[in-house]
Amino acid sequence: MSAFVQLVLFFFGVLSLTSCKPDKPEINIPFSDTLSISVQPVFGGEPLFLDSSYQTPEGYDIQFTDIKFYFQDVRNGEYLFKEAALFDYRLRGTSFIETAGDKEFYENIQANLGVSSLVNHNDPVGFDPNSWLYISNSNDMHWDWNPGYIFVKIEAKVDTIQDGNPLFNHNVIFHVGKDENIKTVSFIGINWISIGSGDVFPLKLDLLHFLDTGSSSIDVKTEFTSHTLAGQDGLSAKVMDNFKEALTPF
Amino acid sequence: MKYLLLLFIVIVVTLSCEKDKVDHIPTPYILDIPSHFPVMQIPEDNPMTVEGVALGRRLFYEKQLSGDNTISCAACHSPSNAFSDPNQYSEGIDGILGTRNSMALINVGWNDFFFWDGRAKTLEEQILIPVEDPIEMHDNWASVMSTISTDLTYKNMFFEAFQTTDIDSTHAAKAIAQFIRTMISGSSKYDVMYKAENNLLLTVSEQNIYSTVTPQETAGYDLFKSLNGADCFHCHNGPLVQVQKFSNNGLDAIFTDNGRGAITENLNDMGKFKVPTLRNIEYSGPYMHDGRFETLDEVIEHYSSGVQISSTIDPLIEFASQGGVQLDAFEKDLVKKFLLTLTDETFINNPDFQEPK
Repeated sequence: MSAFVQLVLFFFGVLSLTSCKPDKPEINIPFSDTLSISVQPVFGGEPLFLDSSYQTPEGYDIQFTDIKFYFQDVRNGEYLFKEAALFDYRLRGTSFIETAGDKEFYENIQANLGVSSLVNHNDPVGFDPNSWLYISNSNDMHWDWNPGYIFVKIEAKVDTIQDGNPLFNHNVIFHVGKDENIKTVSFIGINWISIGSGDVFPLKLDLLHFLDTGSSSIDVKTEFTSHTLAGQDGLSAKVMDNFKEALTPF
Repeated sequence: MKYLLLLFIVIVVTLSCEKDKVDHIPTPYILDIPSHFPVMQIPEDNPMTVEGVALGRRLFYEKQLSGDNTISCAACHSPSNAFSDPNQYSEGIDGILGTRNSMALINVGWNDFFFWDGRAKTLEEQILIPVEDPIEMHDNWASVMSTISTDLTYKNMFFEAFQTTDIDSTHAAKAIAQFIRTMISGSSKYDVMYKAENNLLLTVSEQNIYSTVTPQETAGYDLFKSLNGADCFHCHNGPLVQVQKFSNNGLDAIFTDNGRGAITENLNDMGKFKVPTLRNIEYSGPYMHDGRFETLDEVIEHYSSGVQISSTIDPLIEFASQGGVQLDAFEKDLVKKFLLTLTDETFINNPDFQEPK
């Protein structure tokens, strides 16, 4: 056998060996810590409470009644932090995500604000029952008519008639989903705060900033409903953009 | 030595004659959950067993649970009425009427809270209440269990279900809860429509049912889901046709029943009630927490033109300011035709849910 043939055989041997190498598995970190991400809704400089009154930039009194949103595929590169998480201020307060892990692996975190199109249209019964995407856990955050998940849900009541009579009869409903509205959020150089036996990354969600980022404002008197239907594309996009800007490290 | 030997023999004979300890290992009960339904969360301290379900079924129909032995759970949760009460208010043993309509017992195993005002956090907790309620069964559990524990059949059934002769109300509540968790409705025409819409695999028999869906039913379903139509889906969503929440659906401008608010004492909860499932709504009337509407037509009319504004009205009732969604007669008829697809005859007539012989 010539040296050339031997070389070719050797080359193919190496190639076939490397090609058979299994895909790199998802890295599961041996955890030493409980890591959690919390979200404190605020209105400007003060903590926000549901059903309490605040004033919009336009001067209307507003009471938020529901704040919910999804993070999905929360990770730092190859290190998965959480498959999905649902924030529900009324039901669970500021708690958002809790997982076992080591903070050294999560100096940075990226996530979908919303649910990736790769799983958004899956059968919601098909997820693990412990997943926040599972139908019992998503509850009213899953549209069975779309089908898919609501990414961001904000509901509020507004008193648009400034006559001193607090008649909160103007409803604000932002239910934004659909693949084209997904956003990515990134948090770089996270400063984990040690609390008890765990570490917390606190976020704040400033609803005043949501209503007016400086470059984009939502006047709830005229822009008060989006169910992400045709014709509501502009407001849906604005809700997602402003929401992303309003969610920052504390 | 002889005496010792005799003593030894006596001890051996005595021990060998000791009655064997009676034991019974209950058989796990496998729930028949439709493929498009979520998993049912079963409490760790009350696993489903065949024996527990059988006992629960018997207790559900047991009139000895009431003070004068005249009514059972089924008196206010009648099988032919989707396990609800066809009367506006249920009548207790003393002839006193309640103030709310009995809720239909359908897919209750997936509920997060119980009663119209959610005052019970678990099904087992809920079951304990009517027996001692003076306007319902007006008995007390100690007396009930004292009576029941003298019945040999019950004694055996409790032992088979819970491996104890020391029974009390918690065992009874657990057994009834097990039975109620078996009461699953997921075989209506709607289920086939839901599965088809969500691209879930249909069996041959489901495909046959799907072929019988009429254009009117489809149009009614579209209205049901449409924001500019009947707008029902915000609260009546998914395979359970309900979301787990409390809502003020605009029945009254001034509340005569504070509902959830009476429990939480939170002003923002006043006039809110648990969102019920719409499954088998054809049979579960009268409707609303106080049974004020006798017919589906009245219910549809309420959401179309009768919505009352109040401080806690659900913001998802988006056309409240104009009294409702303003359906015309044709649209109301379509919505009604869709609502009738939620009827599940196999549930209503399931022999496993009827009174045991």
